[in-house]
Amino acid sequence: MRAVVAIALNTFREAIRDRILYLILGVALGLIAISRFVSLLTVGSEVKIVKDLGLSAISVFGLLATVFVGVSLVSKEIERRTIFTLLAQPVRRWQFVCGKYAGLLLVLAASNAVSGTALLVAVALKGASPWGLVPAIVMIFVELALLAAFAVLFSSFTNPILAAVGTTVTYVVGHLSWSFDLLEKRMPGAAGRALCRVLHAVLPNLDRLNIKAEVVHDVALPAGYLGAAIAYGVCYALVVLIIASLVFERREFV
Amino acid sequence: MRRVTTIALLVLAALGAGLARARIVHIEDARRGRKELLYLPNGKYLKAISLGHAPLMADALYLWAIQYYSDYDQADRYRFVEHVFGDVVAELDPRYTDPYWLGAIILTTEANDLEAGLRLLDEGFAKNPEEWILPYLAGWECDRAGQFDRAAAYFDRAAKAPGAPPALFRLKAGMTALGGNLREAIARWEDVLNDPRNDDAARAIATRQIRTLTVRADLRDLEAAIAAFRSTNGRPPRRLEELVPAGLLPRLPVDPDGRAYAYDPARGSVSSTAARVLGS
Repeated sequence: MRAVVAIALNTFREAIRDRILYLILGVALGLIAISRFVSLLTVGSEVKIVKDLGLSAISVFGLLATVFVGVSLVSKEIERRTIFTLLAQPVRRWQFVCGKYAGLLLVLAASNAVSGTALLVAVALKGASPWGLVPAIVMIFVELALLAAFAVLFSSFTNPILAAVGTTVTYVVGHLSWSFDLLEKRMPGAAGRALCRVLHAVLPNLDRLNIKAEVVHDVALPAGYLGAAIAYGVCYALVVLIIASLVFERREFV
Repeated sequence: MRRVTTIALLVLAALGAGLARARIVHIEDARRGRKELLYLPNGKYLKAISLGHAPLMADALYLWAIQYYSDYDQADRYRFVEHVFGDVVAELDPRYTDPYWLGAIILTTEANDLEAGLRLLDEGFAKNPEEWILPYLAGWECDRAGQFDRAAAYFDRAAKAPGAPPALFRLKAGMTALGGNLREAIARWEDVLNDPRNDDAARAIATRQIRTLTVRADLRDLEAAIAAFRSTNGRPPRRLEELVPAGLLPRLPVDPDGRAYAYDPARGSVSSTAARVLGS
């Protein structure tokens, strides 16, 4: 456990020195600030626009941070040959993967906390209560945590470009996985329908973690939904992380 | 020399870009009002590709629509109002209520298309049954169009929505009276009078309305009976009491103070001396 914590803290320290992270965070904060002025163009619903733009900025720029920081986590160590030094220590490979993932989560948590606080302040300055947004910000973090697990998985066996493509495709597919449900109803053959059913069940369903619309409109979520959604995101991320560890265990470095 | 060439190239390129842009703006202006709306698909499809950001997409389209419909130079600008606000923005974010009422106001006030405006407000209320403001606005649009019975029906729907202020029942009663159904309006004002949620001021208004409408309804019934008597007998009745045995009234009404209505047999006209009657 100490090895995981040490790798996580080291990953966090390394990531926060990366300028790209500040650029991403800066743009997200800029968008949240601009949303106050964008809302001047509307007739009514100024607060809604600030909330929508802010939550989407946190989500999209969180995705960018996940991709840019996450995909090179493992490959950078291999490129620099530091992996040999690291694995020469009494550190198991799964501990390395988990440490990298935990470090990435710390980065995302810090980034989410900063941009989330900026959004809460922006909404409060508009005279509305911002606290209802907190569950949506938490769920964005859960979604990013799941994507971060995929970034680490792809990073464990491929180069950063392919890992970035893989993570982005996972985001897109994760938000379109409902379409397999539709496709299943139109499939003529039983095999095709079964495949659609499997894909719908197995692929990450990121829309299940998206509660932005409900939160912005102050619509109460069904009882137990938030807990179930968090459990889904956490368990799914755990599965992906275990697969990443298994893949990394089998990898040979030359 | 190389620096001068570079600067000259830079200026030329910037000039070329500026001229090309001006040309594009000129071409775009020539077909204004067509291109922007031509490829705007239904919100259901946009939602599918929004990747979880449908509310933000709805905001962007709503903002764009406000700017578009604020430009009075647009040709054929009312053609797609219902599509933009109803099929696109409302499908992207069905709980977003502002586009329903703003689209409805554009349709009813500027495009003079009451039915399309009411359709948009109906769609909004169907998707947001707690938003009493939508049928409330529809009620006022019907009132403005002189369709008082329809307005009363909309105020009734608004009043029955959860969280609606009880004052909406007063609007319903008022519209029913404007529609000419005075006895029905009296019944609705009695509902207001008996509603425990109403305060003393609302009950005082209801009491006065009931008195006024009772007098108006009685006078109308009496005038109709007198006219029927005149057409049968060739003369007005000598006394109002003659109307009852003639089968023209079930009984002779009295005013809210319990007094008989005044009758002028020479002119065949009736009047009331009841106190606290609006318009008397």
